Order: sequence, then C-alpha cells, then structure tokens
Amino acid sequence: MRDTIARCETTAHAEGLAAGLTQALAAARDGFSPPGRVAALPADRVPPGAAAVRNRLAEREGIGCFVWPGREAERPHHVRPGHETERPHHDGASDDTTTEFAVLLGAVRLGATRRLLEHAVTHLSGRTVGGEPTLRKQLVLGTVADVMTGVEAARHALLTGASVPDAVADTHERLTELDWETTKLLGASGYLADGPARTAHVSRLLADCWVAAPGGTP
Amino acid sequence: MTELDAPLRELRGMCREAARDLRTRALAVDADPADVERHLDSPTLTLIRVASTPKRFRADGSVDDGGYSGSCLARVIAGVELARGDAGLICANTGPSLAGVAVDALGSEAQQEAFYDAIADGRTWTFFGMTEPDRGSDATAMETRLEAAPDPADGMLLTGAKRYVGNASRGRIGVVFARTGRTALSVRGAVVRIPAAGYEATPLDMIGLRGARICAIDLNGVRVPREDVLGAHLPASRRGLWGIGRTFNVMRTQIASMALGVALAARDLVREERPGWSGHERVSARLDAALALLHDAAVQVDHDPDARRPPSVAKLHITDLAVRTTRWAAHALGPGAMLEHPLLEKWCRDVAAFEFMDGTSNIQRLHITHDVATRATAPRPSAGRVTTPTADRVTAPQGAA
Ligand SMILES: Cc1cc2nc3c(=O)[nH]c(=O)nc-3n(C[C@H](O)[C@H](O)[C@H](O)COP(=O)(O)OP(=O)(O)OC[C@H]3O[C@@H](n4cnc5c(N)ncnc54)[C@H](O)[C@@H]3O)c2cc1C
Repeated sequence: MRDTIARCETTAHAEGLAAGLTQALAAARDGFSPPGRVAALPADRVPPGAAAVRNRLAEREGIGCFVWPGREAERPHHVRPGHETERPHHDGASDDTTTEFAVLLGAVRLGATRRLLEHAVTHLSGRTVGGEPTLRKQLVLGTVADVMTGVEAARHALLTGASVPDAVADTHERLTELDWETTKLLGASGYLADGPARTAHVSRLLADCWVAAPGGTP
Repeated sequence: MTELDAPLRELRGMCREAARDLRTRALAVDADPADVERHLDSPTLTLIRVASTPKRFRADGSVDDGGYSGSCLARVIAGVELARGDAGLICANTGPSLAGVAVDALGSEAQQEAFYDAIADGRTWTFFGMTEPDRGSDATAMETRLEAAPDPADGMLLTGAKRYVGNASRGRIGVVFARTGRTALSVRGAVVRIPAAGYEATPLDMIGLRGARICAIDLNGVRVPREDVLGAHLPASRRGLWGIGRTFNVMRTQIASMALGVALAARDLVREERPGWSGHERVSARLDAALALLHDAAVQVDHDPDARRPPSVAKLHITDLAVRTTRWAAHALGPGAMLEHPLLEKWCRDVAAFEFMDGTSNIQRLHITHDVATRATAPRPSAGRVTTPTADRVTAPQGAA
C-alpha cells in the first residue's frame, strides 16, 4: 500500500489530478463505490451510458462527473430516514474497498496540494511588496511552513489511518484546508479558472463525492 | 450590540424580498457572465443601481431606496440580504459601483456631474482600475503612468497595465489609478471613457463570482483630458490614494456583508433541505454573531470614517467564516452535495472571491495590528511632533469589484 500511495502522489504531483486518479484506479480493488449518488472520475473512465452531471471546472481538469449507475432514483443522502443515514447498502459495494480508494484519492490530492504549494512559492518569489520579495513576508512564510507541515502530517495519516474511514475523511478535510491556505497565497491569480487553483476546487469536488464527511454527515 | 430601528428592519425586509429575483438569475450569469444585458431590467438590479447613486444625481427620483444610501450600517444590512440572493449578480450590475466611490471622494462637482451624467441611462458599466499584474496588495508601488502628452492639446496619456478589474471589458467609463511622479502622493485617479484609442480590456476566466467579469487591461497611451484627472481641487495630500483610502473602510464592510450573505444562503439551503434538523444551530449562532459584529463595525465606520480596525476585523473574520460555512453545508447535505446542488457548488466558488477583494486576509491582519506594531517599534514621540503620511501608514487601497 505504501508504494501505491507514493505512486499516486508522485503522478498527481507531476501530471495533475486526472493522471493521478487514473493511477489510483489502476491500483484500486474492485467493488468500491461512492458513498452518495454521484461520482467523479477521469473523463475517459466514466461508465458508458452514465447520466452526466455537468461541471465546468471538473471538465477542464479532465474529470467527468456522473450519477453512479443504478443510483439514479436514490434519494439524496440527507433525506434518508434516520436508520439509513450512515450509508445505504449498495449491491456489490464494500466499505473496505471504498475506504481504500479514498486513501488512494487522498494520495492523489496530496500530490496536487504539493504542486499547488510549489506554484505558490514560485509565484511569490517573483513578486515584491514594499520592495521586498512577497515570499519573505513572515505572514507568508508562516503559511508556507504550515502547509509544508500539513502535507507531511497528511501523508503519514494516510498510511497509519488507512483502515479507519473517519481518519481518512479527516485527512481529506485537512487537505481541503491546506489547498485553501495555499490558494490564498496566489492572490487573485488563485481565482482564475485557467490557473492552478482550479485543481484545488476540483480536488475538493472529488473528495466531496468519494468521501463521507469526518464523523459522518453532521 | 447594534439594535436595528424600524426603518432599518424595513430595509432589511425589502432587500430580503428583492434578493429572490437575484436568486432566479444566479446560475444563468454564472454559466455565461457575458450575457448580462437581459438581466439589467431586473427590478432588484435597478434598485441597487439607483440606491448606490447619490440622491442628487439620480435620474429616476421615484425609486424609493428604503434608506439604503443613508449610512454604512444601512448598506451592510442591504448587502447581506442581497448577496443572500446572489453576490455574482450584484457584481454584474451596471451603475456607479467602486468607480462612483472614487469619483465621490476625489472628483470636483463638475467631474461628479459628468460621471453620473455618463451612466444615467442605467445601461452603463463602470470599472475601477487599481490592481496591476505585478502590484496588488502593494498599490502604492503601482507602475502605470499618467504623463503629459507631447502635444499639450492631448492632455495626459495613460500607459501601463491593470489586472483583475471588474467589468472593464464592457465598461464605458471608469477610474484608473496611475502615477504622475515617483512618490506615493503622486498616484492619481483618471476618468477614462471607452472606447478610447490604446485601451484594451480582456475578460479573465474566473473560478467564481463570475458576474464580476474581471479583466486584464492594456493601456497604451490612452488620452485623458486634464479635466478628467481627479482631485485637482483637493489639497495635495488628498488628491490620490490618501483621498480615497478612508472609503476602503466602508468597502471592506461591504465585502464582508456579501461574504456573510453567501454564508447565510448556504446555511438556509441546509435548513430547507433538512427541515426540523437542529444540527445547524452552532453554525447559525456563529453567523448571528458575525452579523452583529458586522453591524457594530459599520456603526463605528459611520461614527468615524477613519476607523480602520473594525472593518478589517469584520472582513477578516467573516470571509473566513463564510468559507468554513460553505464547507460545513456541503458536509451537512451528505456525500456528493456539491454536485447535487449546483447553487451550493457555486457558493463554494463564489465565497473565495471575498478573500482577495479589498485587501487579502494578511493585509487585514496588518491593518488590525498596525497601531500595535507602531507602538512596539516607534521611538518615543516628542511633544507636538507633526506626522506626515508615509507609505507604511497608508491604508493601501485594495481593489474590489
Ligand atoms: C473577484 C475579484 C474582483 C476584483 N476586482 C477588482 C477591481 O475591480 N479593481 C481592482 O483594481 N482590483 C480588483 N481585484 C484585485 C484585488 O484587489 C487584488 O487581487 C488584491 O489587491 C490582491 O492583490 P494580488 O492579487 O496581486 O495579490 P498579491 O498582492 O500578490 O498577494 C499575494 C499573497 O501575498 C500576501 N501578501 C501581500 N502583501 C503582503 C504583506 N505585506 N504581508 C503579508 N502578506 C502579504 C497576500 O495576502 C496574498 O496571500 C479583484 C479581485 C478579485 C478576486
């Protein structure tokens, strides 16, 4: 698992989310399925005939969103009766394989987070404020240090918490936070759909459909 | 805590009602921000346009703005409710917007008249060009130049580049800031009328708040008649950035109000989708507290337009809370919620904009601690010492749509 996780991270870091996700799919065991009705995968891996859910930014990232085949008529998660709220039983779906896939997805996202951080550092080393490189501002360096630390912590959490769904979900939540902290460093360039912050949004979309919230839906 | 009197409560009710119209148009403008013309007759956009125009320049005196323009407090109350409908639509609107704020603060009576005359048809977008490709937070170091043309009959020439400027590609009039000399005091605002030779604005593809239609602007010797350079009638220290600096205190509360409106919209969606569920209470309590904080900040700005900390505190806290609230809402609606609820997905994107508008969080942190930091480092002041503005004391204006 350790090598697979490393490969997913490296691929996403070098080639982006869709490539990392393709790597994760190659390593995933059969039987995983999203905890809700919808899913997102590399565009060329969307099951033929699946009902598409259009998302502009995901499409531009090479990711297709769709209703998981067979779940078209399912009610959204939050309107299920109390006893069903954790996770409906889906034929052939296994919690273990789904958690495993969530770990691999975590590694993919981690690679994308590192890529984003490197972009931010390069971006800010080329900008100045008050005649000094923006990167050298202590508030900025503080964020860079926190994100670097968060990346290391998340990587270890994926390894040690791989079998605990809630720990995996928690790591995903932290990755979303790290991406936002990093995006802020980009200034308004972090708000452009053709810039690297798009990946952060799509990465969050992936987590949103593949990983239940930490502690389950509140 | 600020108690709202009856007229303010009425204004809130009126804006809450008006926001419904914005909501019906929200996804269309997000999908195609170029196609806004057909929304301009929206009664709500008309109301916002009129309300943000100073009373003496309103073409249609019959529209009752419910007291919107009366105070910073009234504006944030309206801002929260309208953004709860849709913040993107507010930014897509025609009308004076930030350019109007600049003209109000820096323009002579004749310049104000000319500006409001130019937008009186209600179909004219305006723009406010401050940020540059290499200079955002550090506006005092901007590089765009405003220089005398070789032929005095041509007035002044604007040369340089601006970036992330809302509505610049469809705007017909705007204010562009540029330097006439080397010091921070030499930064001046110039009214630019479009079309103009040498002006080219290209829309940038935005992640969210797409109605704002931010653009990159190239300024290649754009002619500006001398009478369109703002501030000549003001003392030298108040002609440019310093003159407009205090208006950014008001704008920060406005941006915070939009962020809070989006957060409330996300919370409302959760309540609608999960009727009877009490799990929203902690989030709702935080949002209520943030609203009270925002009202107090606005009241403080009304009392003292130079009060810098309260609006920065409001903006820093509320932009962060708003981002967190959209995350919570996605969790509360279960896995896949962002794809299942296109408005929620849009709000998750929109809410990020407020971080960058009118000063990033780090810039607010610097504003909030400015006097503390000065206290820690400044030599003991000698009695009667007069301080003059220096670059580090400026409330560096941060652009906003
Ligand atoms: C939706 C939207 C609408 C906008 N509308 C307009 C508009 O109409 N007109 C206009 O002129 N501009 C507009 N802007 C631009 C906005 O004002 C700038 O993005 C903002 O001023 C930040 O500048 P920047 O993007 O260049 O980031 P930078 O200034 O490069 O900042 C990059 C990072 O460095 C940090 N940083 C910068 N200086 C310091 C410091 N001294 N200490 C610590 N950290 C620091 C920032 O916090 C940020 O994290 C808009 C932006 C957006 C997203």
